[in-house]
Amino acid sequence: SFNMSLFRLSQFQNFKTHFLAPHQMLRHFRKQSLQLNTGLIPHLPSADLSQRKKMHTPPRTERMAVDQDWSSVYPTAAAFKPASVPLPIRMGYPVKRGVPPPKEGNLELIKIPNFLHLTPPAIKKHCAALKDFCTEWPSALDSDEKCEQHFPIEIETVDYVSAGTSIRNPKARVVTLRVKLSHLNLDDHAKKKLIKLVGERYCKDTDMLTITTDRCPLRRQNYDYSIHLLTVLYHESWKTEMWESEKTEEDMEEYIWENSCSQKNALDTLLRIKASENVSNVTKEELLASEVVKNYRNSVIALKNEGETENNMSQYKESVKKLLNIQALP
Amino acid sequence: MPVLTLSKQVLASIDVTVCVLPSQAKHSEHHEGRHYSIPLEEVKAVFPHGLPSRFQQQIKTFNEACLMVRKPALELFTYLKSSNFAHPAVRYVIYGEKGTGKTMTLCHVVHYCARQGWLVLHIPDAHLWVKNCKELMKSSYKEERLDQPLQASVWLKNFKASNERFLKEIKTQKTYVWGKQESTEEGRPLGEVVEQGLARTRNASDAVGVVLKELKQQCQRGSFRLLVAVDGVNALWGRTTLKREDKSPVSPGELTLVYNLRKLMMNNWNGGAIVTTLSQTGSLFKPRSAYLPQELLGKVSHGLPPPSFTMGNRNPGWGTASGHGGRVCFSLSSHNIL
Repeated sequence: SFNMSLFRLSQFQNFKTHFLAPHQMLRHFRKQSLQLNTGLIPHLPSADLSQRKKMHTPPRTERMAVDQDWSSVYPTAAAFKPASVPLPIRMGYPVKRGVPPPKEGNLELIKIPNFLHLTPPAIKKHCAALKDFCTEWPSALDSDEKCEQHFPIEIETVDYVSAGTSIRNPKARVVTLRVKLSHLNLDDHAKKKLIKLVGERYCKDTDMLTITTDRCPLRRQNYDYSIHLLTVLYHESWKTEMWESEKTEEDMEEYIWENSCSQKNALDTLLRIKASENVSNVTKEELLASEVVKNYRNSVIALKNEGETENNMSQYKESVKKLLNIQALP
Repeated sequence: MPVLTLSKQVLASIDVTVCVLPSQAKHSEHHEGRHYSIPLEEVKAVFPHGLPSRFQQQIKTFNEACLMVRKPALELFTYLKSSNFAHPAVRYVIYGEKGTGKTMTLCHVVHYCARQGWLVLHIPDAHLWVKNCKELMKSSYKEERLDQPLQASVWLKNFKASNERFLKEIKTQKTYVWGKQESTEEGRPLGEVVEQGLARTRNASDAVGVVLKELKQQCQRGSFRLLVAVDGVNALWGRTTLKREDKSPVSPGELTLVYNLRKLMMNNWNGGAIVTTLSQTGSLFKPRSAYLPQELLGKVSHGLPPPSFTMGNRNPGWGTASGHGGRVCFSLSSHNIL
């Protein structure tokens, strides 16, 4: 009878609840939950033995050694399996005065992409496998500076591999060319013109010009086009067109004090001051070369180019005080 | 020293201490943060139109006018005392965040100069001249310019109230023809020009222009000192919200009042000083957070005011109750001796 088999089994191993038939399972769980005081009654288990086995065997994590080979648990990109990942993760929005829900049956953890298949040992294995297809890195290029010095232009392309019938991917034709302007032979005018021509593609902080081309169908064509663009930019920026002489103050990239209205007004004021003191024969050049005017010039340039900061404003104030010879009484 | 404490403020439970401080000319650093009171008759004489409206309400509530002595004001006094009036007029710009006391500092300086006997040309808020003008007329003097009779006559009235004695003493140096039968001869007191402007509002803006021109010319002789105090000077170089009849926008330079005031802002005259404030409150087309000179004045005008002089008003002062941040609160209450 059923009870006899149970009795015989219990002599050899712990009682396993998945041998119970469904209605007895419910009774068992009710008793258990009363004992545990959770009040939770699970779904009625199916008649399928493997399903019931799954519900009641302890998860794989409990049998994992600390020094196991993780890349065999997650050899490829796979969804998050709570029973296979031995980490006590919680994720989700906690209810009031609660904690984030645990990982079992947690949809939030399954939804997000995970990189459990790309741990450092796994990547080492990938590199070891790819090593046979690679050549040695040239020993002379052992630092970043040397690489930059010998190969100032960097070309970036991306190859795409996916499981499917076709190996082609239209995104693979994009070519990005990066070069630092300090490596190009440009004078002041050429550099300013080049920066104006490329517009958004130039980054001032890193002095890097980035040209991205994808208008041609093939990668080689895009590469040729980007090199052609660089050549054209370089040569055009060295030329000076006729209409460039009409450059106005608004087009200037930075503030130049010489021949600005600030300089004119400052000289005017100083000349008037000197005239009121009956000091004649003071030429403009002398005034321009004097300390106070140089100080004023530097503070105005700093204000305009760097914007207004406390420092700049106080510097400007001090320079004006010296220029106009205003003393504060002690 | 009589000390009066008022502790009824519901808004903030801070004590306002008012002391009768030594005369204004002797205000120095250790008076910083304290208040001094102006007798109410003087307030009417010196500030017919200068004080902010909240402050005027406060005067009515407490029946006294108390200004706080602030550091930038003290700095300005030292500069004004030691300035050489043979040199071109120095332009001072007071800037700072909202509520830091720029207008009150300006009023303090105006009061100081009025007490010292200067001629004070106080434009309470230049923003009022570039917005909300109900009557815009074509100027009779110059074709392209526009007149603002209402604003000009209001200003003339207040100017007359504060500078009566100067208007009798200063004489015109040219003949001004106002209409077919009206003209002001050379050598007549400037008060007549003001009367003409008030009587005929058509000519009010031109009268203002004449007054400004005469004062600028005659100040250089040295018979009086001129203080030009403009609040919200960034209005003169900004944009206006005014439109002509054909809906085309008006730039400030096309308004007679602004045009003449701009001429006075140049430092090609001597014998006085120009003290201005930058104000975002009331300004047009400027974001609320703008307070630095370049932000409010814009690029165009920064080319213009060459050596001008700036003073920062840093910490917020909530009205006359407290001062720079929380510090003065405590020092005020420690002075609070009953």
